[in-house]
Amino acid sequence: MNKLFKNLNTLLGIGVLTLGSALGELPKFNHVTITVVGDAGQNMESLNKYADDFTKAGISIKQVGATFTGLYDKLKTDFVAGSGDYDMVIFYPSYIGDFAGNGYLAPLDDLMKKTPASVWDPKLDEVEPPYREIYCKWNGKVYALPYDGDVLELYYRKDFFENPQEKEAFKQKYNRELTPPASWKEWLQVAEFFTRKQGDTLAGQKLDHPYYGAGEYGARGFSYGWFLCRFASAGGIYFDENMGPLINTPAAVEGLQNMVDSLKSCPPDVLSYGYEELKNAFLNGDIAMVVQWSDVGKKTADPQLSKVVGKVGFALVPGTEVNGKVQHRTPMPVGRVLAVPASSKNKEVAYWVAKFLSLDKSPITVAANWSGQDPYRVSHFTDPSHYKFPDDVSRKEYLEATEANLKVGFPDLNIPGAAQYIDALDLAVNKALSGEADAKSALDAAAEDWKGITERLGADNQKKFWKEALTSYRAAGLLQ
Amino acid sequence: MDVLKWGSLMAFVVLFLFPFFWIVASSLKSRGEFFTRPPVWFPAHLDWSNYPDSLGRGALKGLTDSFVIAFLSMVISLLLGAPAAYAIARFQVGRENLAFWILSIRMFPPIATILPLFVIFRFVGLVDSYTGLVLSYTVFNLPFAIWILKGFIEDLPREIEEAAKVDGARPFQIFRMIVIPLAAPGLVVAALFTFIFAWNDFAYAVIFSGSKVTPLPVVIAQFAGGHEILWGQISAAAIIAILPALVLATFLQKYLTRGLTMGAVK
Amino acid sequence: MLGKQEKNFARLMVLPAVGLLFLVTIAPLLFSLGVSFTNLQFGSPQPLRWNGLDNYLNLLTKDARFLNALWRTLLLVGAGVVAQTVLGYVIASLLFRISRGRTILLSAILIPSVISQVVAGWQGRMIFNASYGPLNDILARCGIKGPAWLASQQTALTSIFLTDTWQWTPFLALIILAALQSQPQDIVEAARLDGAHGWSMFRFVTVPLILPVTGIGILLRGVDLFKTFDLVFILTQGGPGNSSETLTFFTYVQGFKFFNPSYASAMSFIQLILVTIAAKTFLAFIRRQRSV
Repeated sequence: MNKLFKNLNTLLGIGVLTLGSALGELPKFNHVTITVVGDAGQNMESLNKYADDFTKAGISIKQVGATFTGLYDKLKTDFVAGSGDYDMVIFYPSYIGDFAGNGYLAPLDDLMKKTPASVWDPKLDEVEPPYREIYCKWNGKVYALPYDGDVLELYYRKDFFENPQEKEAFKQKYNRELTPPASWKEWLQVAEFFTRKQGDTLAGQKLDHPYYGAGEYGARGFSYGWFLCRFASAGGIYFDENMGPLINTPAAVEGLQNMVDSLKSCPPDVLSYGYEELKNAFLNGDIAMVVQWSDVGKKTADPQLSKVVGKVGFALVPGTEVNGKVQHRTPMPVGRVLAVPASSKNKEVAYWVAKFLSLDKSPITVAANWSGQDPYRVSHFTDPSHYKFPDDVSRKEYLEATEANLKVGFPDLNIPGAAQYIDALDLAVNKALSGEADAKSALDAAAEDWKGITERLGADNQKKFWKEALTSYRAAGLLQ
Repeated sequence: MDVLKWGSLMAFVVLFLFPFFWIVASSLKSRGEFFTRPPVWFPAHLDWSNYPDSLGRGALKGLTDSFVIAFLSMVISLLLGAPAAYAIARFQVGRENLAFWILSIRMFPPIATILPLFVIFRFVGLVDSYTGLVLSYTVFNLPFAIWILKGFIEDLPREIEEAAKVDGARPFQIFRMIVIPLAAPGLVVAALFTFIFAWNDFAYAVIFSGSKVTPLPVVIAQFAGGHEILWGQISAAAIIAILPALVLATFLQKYLTRGLTMGAVK
Repeated sequence: MLGKQEKNFARLMVLPAVGLLFLVTIAPLLFSLGVSFTNLQFGSPQPLRWNGLDNYLNLLTKDARFLNALWRTLLLVGAGVVAQTVLGYVIASLLFRISRGRTILLSAILIPSVISQVVAGWQGRMIFNASYGPLNDILARCGIKGPAWLASQQTALTSIFLTDTWQWTPFLALIILAALQSQPQDIVEAARLDGAHGWSMFRFVTVPLILPVTGIGILLRGVDLFKTFDLVFILTQGGPGNSSETLTFFTYVQGFKFFNPSYASAMSFIQLILVTIAAKTFLAFIRRQRSV
């Protein structure tokens, strides 16, 4: 019965899709070649998968692959040299201020309004607000279309959290029910609870190796994102109205201290954990909970990669109690958007390709396991049939949790100079994690660095940029 | 004595090949066999698909591109470097300053010159071309080749050259017929490593490559994506990447020994 | 004295190499030098102006991150050069003393040098992984609890040093082997007849004979070690904290993450000056040793 239902669902899904692409008519261009640059691998795979459609539309695409960590260098080098080699760029939206603010990108508003709407309208109104307002727009104009809705998410071992013995033991110890942590305070408790020595028992099984309650992104590069989880949910925001840094407020220090304390319940080498290591620790079944990007959810269901298929629960990233109420803000590090460089000679075609990927094909792309893309549109959550999960409950839970996190998404800093501010912050977080400095002095130092960066980049200009950013934060509902 | 000698040699070989063995094993693993506890030393079944897969993902093109670039850079570095090294070693052209200026080019971190070089290369159309990369590599290989050869040439006994001069040999003949064969070990070292430097470089390759030219290290680096690291393909491509340089090394070693016999003759 | 004809011949011989080097490097180098005396920062609206030695003074007196990176780099260069020279010599002299199988053994030992640093870095991420990596697995099988390698401030730089030594010891081994093979056998024989052996043979015959070539090998290795970047970039990104950040990595961060070429250029020139001083000192040292 269940199987029949699934098949039906798939059939229906396909039906809806063909209908969908029939509605989005293919325009006809006159054999144009455009050059697309992005981080190679899964994020450019859709260019191959949909090659037939591009051919039908009279477009051939030349791909230039960059590395994940080298994408910014490659794009900015090209922009600074003013070369105009690229027609469409895939990049991380925290650089939208840098790229659009410096005039490297073409505004898209006029192209979006072209008729017929079925060909040109990217339907931005159904993109989740933080994504639309902060990652796609700059200074009130649209410069980019969404492509990959990265957001963090809480993953936990449902089988352990539901184990009666564990539940009982937890209740004995902490005098409350064992649930996925709603707040970072609870996170510490649960993490501590599940941390076991070799030879201890876990859910009735004797452990032949130590077990850890939690994992954090400990390596340099993105450790700031896991700090932002705490910082943003406590109501933190990067700067005040006058661009005075707010990253060393007492709440911020408390948040960083929480992350430092969490390390006690993490694997001993967690400071070398980047995306790959942190993901594998969870997929190997070595830690009880982890906060990770939303694509990891799809990977937990892949039996080739995951030893925990069907044992995973999905939830909102923990929050912080503010005035007696737990408030959630889930960071959205990285992500990807599509934009057209101002120097491109094929703007119209490039824009259409971007729109085609961002809208028409996106329901397939975000669900597929050949892609790295994550959902970002309301419609991505209404039709879940393309997702491969062992059971409908997991699929439903995964999508609900992803959408819930996206709704309270907290974007990366996106003003020009973001790379510098974020590097200084990440260094501070990493110093505190490694014990080189305590949380307060690390963040104080970062705040000083931030002031210096603002001065160097021109305080007046930076303030203007930040004001614009604040407007977009309000539009996204992140600030009153 | 022999036992000790061979024993310690074998110990070194094992030590130096342990990571290599790990790469070979990794190149034959399936997706789920990385980052496991305990680590998989011998894959359950040998998954050869990583090899064709990595070649299909651009490693084949990367291999040919890298080979052309590294080979040309090696040849040019030797053709220009050997005469320069001879002139500097034997005739003290430019005294120490010239030699030092040449070395300083290698000392300077490439990071600071890549950006201006990129602008210039763009202006003359050398970005995303073989010429651009060959030129860049030759520039940082030449100082290496010149200094290595300078060392070997300075070491040669002058008497042979003097004798040839008395016999009426012209300077270039002396260089060509006497110095070059005698400095063969130096040429081997210089050839091998100028090739390897260009073969393995990433810093220039990643900025100066594009859709037309994609050297192998750049292709391999792209296997480490933001959402998925293709460990098997990285390892397979690494093994493939080792082969040409290894063949070259084995082939060139013959001439390392010829240096010895020439030395014995004198 | 050189005759005029010989002088011209020598000039002609260096011309192509020097010409090419000059043509390609002069403009970028002058640009970098010029920029290092300005406030150039891409994305900044501030007017471009000369600021004299500001960048240099800032770096040398105020920038703790730079000075720490510098200190760390010196440590890495020192340890790397010493370890690689000693190991390289041991391997070379062992290879020198065997008559059969040398080609195969040398080729095998050369394999690490043939691996791109990018690949070595990614493999290192697996090999040094404290929980899932093969290195700690072997140590555990021998009853040793391996360190956290890349995850600890104490061992992150060590991991980089080990990887570099693994990769580049073969280079010095090859150079030293070539130098050993080029020793004039008559001198070696004469020394042996004079009763030199063991340490005295090594110190007073072998070292002076192989030093010119070996010294240059060590020098070139030192110069390259100063620029250690790829390994740091992939293994640690300079972390934990900035415990493994090298000079060139920090230059990269300034130049390509912050697009602050003025500061990055000033850093590069400081590095150039330091390496030059170190190299000159080293060459003088070698010259003295040779005449012992």
